[in-house]
Amino acid sequence: MNWLSNKLSAGPSNESPSWQWFYRLGSPRWFYLRSGQWLPWLSLAALLVLATGLVWGLAFAPEDAKQGNSFRIIYIHVPAAFLAQSGYFIMAIAGAIGLIWKMKISYMVMKAAAPIGALLTFVALFTGAVWGKPTWGAYWVWDARITSMLILLFLYAGVMALQYAYHSVDAASKASAILALVGTVNIPIINKSVDWWYTLHQPATIKLTSAPSMHMDMFMPLLVMIVGFYLFYAVALILHTRNEILRRERKTSWVRELVTAKAGG
Amino acid sequence: MYFDNFAALINMDGHGVYVWTSVAVTLATMLWLVIAPLISQRGLLKEVSRDIQRQQNRDLAAKKTSNHEESN
Repeated sequence: MNWLSNKLSAGPSNESPSWQWFYRLGSPRWFYLRSGQWLPWLSLAALLVLATGLVWGLAFAPEDAKQGNSFRIIYIHVPAAFLAQSGYFIMAIAGAIGLIWKMKISYMVMKAAAPIGALLTFVALFTGAVWGKPTWGAYWVWDARITSMLILLFLYAGVMALQYAYHSVDAASKASAILALVGTVNIPIINKSVDWWYTLHQPATIKLTSAPSMHMDMFMPLLVMIVGFYLFYAVALILHTRNEILRRERKTSWVRELVTAKAGG
Repeated sequence: MYFDNFAALINMDGHGVYVWTSVAVTLATMLWLVIAPLISQRGLLKEVSRDIQRQQNRDLAAKKTSNHEESN
């Protein structure tokens, strides 16, 4: 019984092995060193998968019966839009973890995710506009899908702006996290906009609950591109997070040791 | 390949302008998302090593003056 009471009184301590990974992940030093080992492999994988998907989609997939070759824009438009929304969730969840567990690293991930998501949203809007011209006859229409994506861009911009609106890093992180969480309301609106409103935008090509509405020869490269974009997103997020770590921890001994070791070796 | 030749791949029956513009802007943005943090990382690491250098110089200077005072 003695061991049990010892265990109970100790509670969920740092030494508890099942929680160790969580605390380690929360350590900026651990993340910085470990992610440095992941980066070359992740980058290589992202490059290979993206190159495969792009060549497959642009040069080998058959053309669309109605839209002709302009439909090939789907191979960058859909993955970019996908990641713009997934990236928003990642940013909001990182913000929530920061608010709940006061984990420093997760605020850094949140801050890093904002500019990446903003640029991917821009890519989705831009490629959508260019695709719109030959398909709808207009670069821009104020329809539900496009407008809600524009709001997503503004939400990202808001999270970025709030980071610089406070003198205290902690206050800025909290405010950004709250805005990010509130903004998640927009994500289901984006998703459902093509069903809820009459819109020019075509309905979803990929749904988790049913088979894709496109031929396999066209669908496979799209799937490869989405995987490639996820890998790319991981690389970009790690790179931006590492910089945020350096920026906030540059006075600490471990960063100094790292730089000294690099200069010496 | 789906197209007969390279020229057809570029032209895409008149849709090439739209497709290749989209591809170019997307790739440029993605490249920027990777290169920009690498550039600022170099700057940050340089800043840290300058800080270390400054600290060392200050420590050295402090040592010298204290030695000087002792010898007097």
